Amino acid sequence: MSVELASKVNRLNVTKDGGRMVSDYWENIFTARERGKRVVWYNGSAVNPIFQAAGLEWCHGEAFSARLAATHLEGPAQLAGAEYGYIAELCSYARTHLGCAVLTQRAAERAEAGPQEGFETGIVGMVDQEELASKLPTPDFFVNAYAGCSTGQQWDEITYRVFGKKVPIFNVSLPTLWGNKADSGYLRGEEWDRTSEYVAKQLYQLIEFIEVQTGEKFDMDKLRENMTYIKKASQLRREAMDLCAARPTPATFWDWISSIAQINFLPANQELVDYFANIKHEIQTRLDEGVPGIANERYRLYFDGMMNWNKLGWLAKKFADHDVAMIAGRYTHNAFWQEPHLIDTDDPILGMAQHYLLCPTNHGTKTLQHLMTRDVEKYGIDGVVFHSSRTCRAFTNPQHVLAETAQRDLGIQTMFFEGDVADASFYKDEVLDSRLEAMLEAIDVRRIKTGG
Amino acid sequence: MSDIDSALKVLADAVASPREYALAWKQRTGRKVVGAFPMNFPGEIIHAAGALSVVVQDSRAPITDGRSLLPEFHCGYTRSVADQAATGNFDYFDAFLCADHCIQLLGAVDTIRFVMPRTPVHFVQFISSMNDAWGQQQINETMQSFADELEQLLGVQITQEALAESIGLFNRNRQLLRRLYDLRRTGVNITAAQMQLMVQSSMVMDKREHNEILAPLVDLFADWTINPPQPVRLHLSGHLCHAPRAELLTAIEECGATVVDDDLFTGYRYISTDVVTDGDLIEALGRWYVDRNDNVPCPTRVQHNVDWDGYLMQSIDKSQATGVIVLMVKFCEPHMLYYPELRKTLEEHGIPLLLIETEHEGLPLESIRTRVETFVEQIRRRQSSVPVPA
Ligand code: SF4
Ligand code: SF4
Repeated sequence: MSVELASKVNRLNVTKDGGRMVSDYWENIFTARERGKRVVWYNGSAVNPIFQAAGLEWCHGEAFSARLAATHLEGPAQLAGAEYGYIAELCSYARTHLGCAVLTQRAAERAEAGPQEGFETGIVGMVDQEELASKLPTPDFFVNAYAGCSTGQQWDEITYRVFGKKVPIFNVSLPTLWGNKADSGYLRGEEWDRTSEYVAKQLYQLIEFIEVQTGEKFDMDKLRENMTYIKKASQLRREAMDLCAARPTPATFWDWISSIAQINFLPANQELVDYFANIKHEIQTRLDEGVPGIANERYRLYFDGMMNWNKLGWLAKKFADHDVAMIAGRYTHNAFWQEPHLIDTDDPILGMAQHYLLCPTNHGTKTLQHLMTRDVEKYGIDGVVFHSSRTCRAFTNPQHVLAETAQRDLGIQTMFFEGDVADASFYKDEVLDSRLEAMLEAIDVRRIKTGG
Repeated sequence: MSDIDSALKVLADAVASPREYALAWKQRTGRKVVGAFPMNFPGEIIHAAGALSVVVQDSRAPITDGRSLLPEFHCGYTRSVADQAATGNFDYFDAFLCADHCIQLLGAVDTIRFVMPRTPVHFVQFISSMNDAWGQQQINETMQSFADELEQLLGVQITQEALAESIGLFNRNRQLLRRLYDLRRTGVNITAAQMQLMVQSSMVMDKREHNEILAPLVDLFADWTINPPQPVRLHLSGHLCHAPRAELLTAIEECGATVVDDDLFTGYRYISTDVVTDGDLIEALGRWYVDRNDNVPCPTRVQHNVDWDGYLMQSIDKSQATGVIVLMVKFCEPHMLYYPELRKTLEEHGIPLLLIETEHEGLPLESIRTRVETFVEQIRRRQSSVPVPA
C-alpha cells in the first residue's frame, strides 16, 4: 500500500507560473470554436509555431493525454477507448486521445442530431463525456509529424478514421536517424544533411496545405518572429540546465518535466521567453545562495524514459525521500528545441526540420549511447533509472542496451522500474522501492571501494 | 506417402530450420545469404545480387538471451529476432536489410547491431505515408540506395537483366501461390497449415527451387478432391510479420470450420502483388511497394484512399467466408490500432468476428479450441436462423 511521503523536493517557484500558463492555454483552446477560430489537431513534433503564424489554434494530442493523466482525469477517455475496441496494451497516450476523439465525435453527432437524439449508453457516464469530450474542439484538419515511433503516425491516421475520413490530414514523414555510415553521428554526416533537407521540403508543403485550409497566404515574417522567441526561450532553458551541473543541483529533472509543456506547445511570445528567463534567474539565485533542488542531495541520477504522468509528483517525492537528486533525462534534455544554435531566425525552416528529427526516440542506439554518456559526464551522474514504460515501446526499445553501456562503459549503476506514460495500472510501487534501495546501496559500496 | 505429402515434406524441412537450409545452400553455391525484414522488402533485389534472400523468421525456441535485449512486453517476433541474434542462430546471415516502419521492429533490428557488430545491418525507411506527392520519388531513391548498398556489400553489379530474371522468378512464385488460393476458395481441400507452409517456405528458400516444387504441387492440388461445401467458412486476418503456429491453424479447422481465405502476412499479404515490369526495374520495384498497399492495405502504412476493412469485405465477398478470425500478435501496435476499425465494419455487415491473440511462448490450445467451437456454433446457429431464399 502506498504511504504519503513528506516532501524533500524544493520545486522551483517559477514552475507554478508555468502551470498557470498551461492551464490558461487549455482553457483558451476549449473556447476556440466560440471564438470562431480554426482548430488543428496534431501529434509529435512541435510544428505549432507554423500554426501560430497561420492564426490557427492547435491541440497537441499527446499533451492532452499527458494532462489528463497528470490531473487523474484519464479514466473516462480510456474507458471510451476500450469500449471502442482499443486493447489495453496499446500506447496509452494514443488510446487516451483516441478515446477523447471517440467522445468528441459522439458529442458532435449528438449536437447535430438535436437534443432528443439518443445518448450513448456505453460504460462512459454522461457527466464524464460532457466534462471531457465537449471540451476538446473538433478539428478542422490534422497534421501528423511524428518522429521515431510508427504508432505516432498511425494514431493520427486512425483518428482521421474515427472522424469518418472527412477531416483533411497532412503527414510529415520523419525518417529515423539510423546512423550506420562511417560519417554518421549526432548532428553530422550525409544522413543528417539529407534527411534535414527532406523534412524541410515537406514543411514547405505543409505550409501550402495550411494555405489551402485557411484560404490565406502564409505569413513567413510571423513564423520568423515566433522562432526568434523560441530560440531565445530555448537558449535560456539550456543555460539554466547547464547550471544544474553544480553540486548540489539547484533544480531537478522534475522541474524540467514541469517545463516541457511550455517549450513544447505554448505560444511563442515574450511571456514564454520571460518564463525561461525567470527559471534561469531563480536557479542562479539558488546557486548564489546555496539553495538546493532537494534537501540533502546524496545521489545524482539520470532518468531514461518517457514520463510517467500519473505518478509525477509521487515519483519526485519518492526519489527525494531517498536523497536522490534526479538531475537530467533523455526526455527532458534531448528533446524540445534542445539545439537552438540550429535555428536561423531569418530562415527558420531547416532548423525546425532538424529539431523534428532530433526526437529522442528517432536515433539509433549508437547515438543514444553517445547522448547518455555526454549527459552522465556533464552532470556527474551516479546511476541511471530506466522507466520501463509498458506501452511506449519507442522509449523502451534501446533501454537494455543503454543499461549495459552505462554499467560496462561508464561504470555506473542502473535500475529499471515498471510504469507507463498514461496508464497508472502498470505502475508497481513495491518493485520501484526495492530496486531503488538496492541501487543506492550499490552506489554506496562502490564509493567506499573507490574512496569516493 | 502421396506426391503432395512428399513435396510438402521438402518445404517443411526448410521451414523447420531456415538456418540449415541456408547453410546447405551456401555450401552448394558458395554465395551469400541476406536477411530481409518484414513486411515490405523486395527480395528480388537481393536475388538479383546473387544472394539468397530470406525473410527473417521467428523461431520456436523460447526467449533466453534476448531477455536482456528487449522487454517482455514487446511483440514475440521482435523478441525472437533479438534472441536469435544473441544466441547465434543468425550466424549464417551475411547482412540484414530493413525498410519498414514499425517501431518495435526497428528496436529489434537495432539490437542486431549491438550483438552482431561485424554483420552489416542496412536500414532506410520506405515512406509509410502513401498519399504524399513526393512519396514515389522517395521510394525510388531508397530502392536505389538498397541496390547500391548490396552491390558494395557483395561486390557485384545488379544489372537490369539480372533484375528482370529475379522479378520473373518472384512473380511466377507469387502467381503459383495465388493459384492455390483460388483453388482453396473454390473448395479444394488445402488446409490452412498447408497453405501457410507453402508461403512460408517461399520466404526462406531459393525461389527457383521453390518454383520447381510448387508448380507440380499446384497441378496435384488442382486435381485434388473438392470438399463438399462447408457451412462455416472462415477468413483468417492479420498476424503481421510472422507465421502463427501451424498447430493453431490446425486446431481452428478441427473445430468444424474450413479456412477459405486469409490476409495473414505469411499468407495472402505476402503474395498479393506482382511487380509490373515496364521501364526501369528499380522503379518497378518502387511501384510494387505502392501497389501492394493498394491491394492489401497494411496497418503499418497510412493511406487515406484504401482501408483494410474495405479490403476485408471485398475478400469475404469473393470467398463467401461466413466469419472472420483475427489473429493478433500480442503487443502488435499497428494491429491494435486498426483492430476497432475492422471490428466496426464487420459488425456493420453482420459478419461474426473472433479475436485470438498469440504469444511467442505458450499456446493455450484447449481454451482456444473452446472459443473457436463456440464461435463456429454461433455462426451455425446464425445460418440456420437466416431464412433461405426460395
Ligand atoms: S508509443 Fe510512445 S512514442 Fe509512440 S506514439 Fe505512443 S507515446 Fe508516442
Ligand atoms: S508490425 Fe506487429 S508483429 Fe511486426 S514487428 Fe511490429 S509489433 Fe511486431
